[in-house]
Amino acid sequence: MKKKFISAGIRAGWLLLFPVCLGFLSCEEKEYAIPAAKTQLQNDVIKRSIGPNIAGLDIEFAYAMALASSRGKLVSAKVEASLAGSEGTYLEHRSFYTDGGGQDVGVEIGAPSATSGNATTVTFSKDTSAATLRYFYRIPESAKGQSVSFKFSATSSTGETVSYDMGPYQIAKMDLRLDITVKDSVAAYISLEDMKVYTVEEARANPGKIDLVYLYRNVPGITFNHSLISPGAGSPYLAGVGVPAGAGRISKIRKEWALRDRHLARAQFGVYIDDLDFEKLDFSGMPGEALNMRAESGAWVETADGAYRAYIYFNSVNNNGKQAVVSIKRYKP
Amino acid sequence: MIVLIRYKAILWLFPLMGLWAACKDDFPVDEDGLLITERAECYVSNFELLGTDRQTVRTKNPVIDTVAQTVNVEVFYGTDLRNLYPQFSLVTDAKLDPKITGMVDFSDLSKPKVYTVVSGNRKVRKPYTVYITVQQPTN
Repeated sequence: MKKKFISAGIRAGWLLLFPVCLGFLSCEEKEYAIPAAKTQLQNDVIKRSIGPNIAGLDIEFAYAMALASSRGKLVSAKVEASLAGSEGTYLEHRSFYTDGGGQDVGVEIGAPSATSGNATTVTFSKDTSAATLRYFYRIPESAKGQSVSFKFSATSSTGETVSYDMGPYQIAKMDLRLDITVKDSVAAYISLEDMKVYTVEEARANPGKIDLVYLYRNVPGITFNHSLISPGAGSPYLAGVGVPAGAGRISKIRKEWALRDRHLARAQFGVYIDDLDFEKLDFSGMPGEALNMRAESGAWVETADGAYRAYIYFNSVNNNGKQAVVSIKRYKP
Repeated sequence: MIVLIRYKAILWLFPLMGLWAACKDDFPVDEDGLLITERAECYVSNFELLGTDRQTVRTKNPVIDTVAQTVNVEVFYGTDLRNLYPQFSLVTDAKLDPKITGMVDFSDLSKPKVYTVVSGNRKVRKPYTVYITVQQPTN
């Protein structure tokens, strides 16, 4: 019995030795060598803009390229989009760096970019071996519902060429209209079909296009204030309002609070309404009016014929001026 | 060796004791899996009414009468009564019947909704009627 215990003890001792030996090996000092920097032409891209890609807005990238100064210099940079960008698409001709104060400082490296078809090019005229150029792709109306990809490329004086593919990025179907001023009795007739607010005279000319009437009322005893009412809602809400004959649409409205879409509010909240949000909305049983709208509140709206869905965001309200500033995202199912 | 066997037997006993304790029927649960306690108290302590924007539609605090078993609440003018989300605060261990699972249609003011509070011991049931009035202009 004693012998068995002794042999078991020896075995356990050996087993304990293994981790000790491993620890000793791992502690062995290895001499560190600074890795040799690559000298050939290299490039990298990051996408700077976030949120859904909406026609009329930019998709922004930062394109970095470099090679060892002893080897050569940069000659040109080019971006090719799978769909041609609209006017306003450009590749920066300045390379930015951030100074000690956190400010981006641009250093010119050549003439402003030239766009031909889908390709935007900058030719370097300064002796530059490293640069980061920003690319702004203005999304065209024709790209709605499609996806777009980009090929970034650079060439150097050594004849080397590098490229980097980005995307594909889905372009939203939504429309965006910012800072529309609505004013009680003056510019109060909202058409989601046209993404416009009409005056009384204009509304009389287009009664079939009016989806909502903006009202401001300060009625003692109730909280009415800034409201959106369907022209066909009738009811006491539109008493005294000269709704044009023929304007009888009853939109469905769902009030919302604290949904400060970044495109609409341009505030610090990283919240975006995308196509999918409009697709998933349920308007069944929703009323035709939304009363007491406040600044930073909003309303989901579906037009009477179901042709459009929209989110109307109240950027600001002015009780004395009986007016408000609204921004709209609209989706066509 | 005998001592070792005894220790092992004691170690086996622990899980068996645990199983026995877990199976004891000290804490019954109801059909919703909620604990049935000994509390007989049965009342609504607070009431809230939210709109589709998850904001209150009350103009002031609700009036809760625990003797008459009523809840009176006034809502803003223009409130969409078809899409309201009621929230009841109940006494400890009590539950509500029917359960609130989403938006409720309160638009028929002539037929106020009735919710029954069930006490913790599930032996006392008190129906509460929710009366809604809509804020009106003063002139």
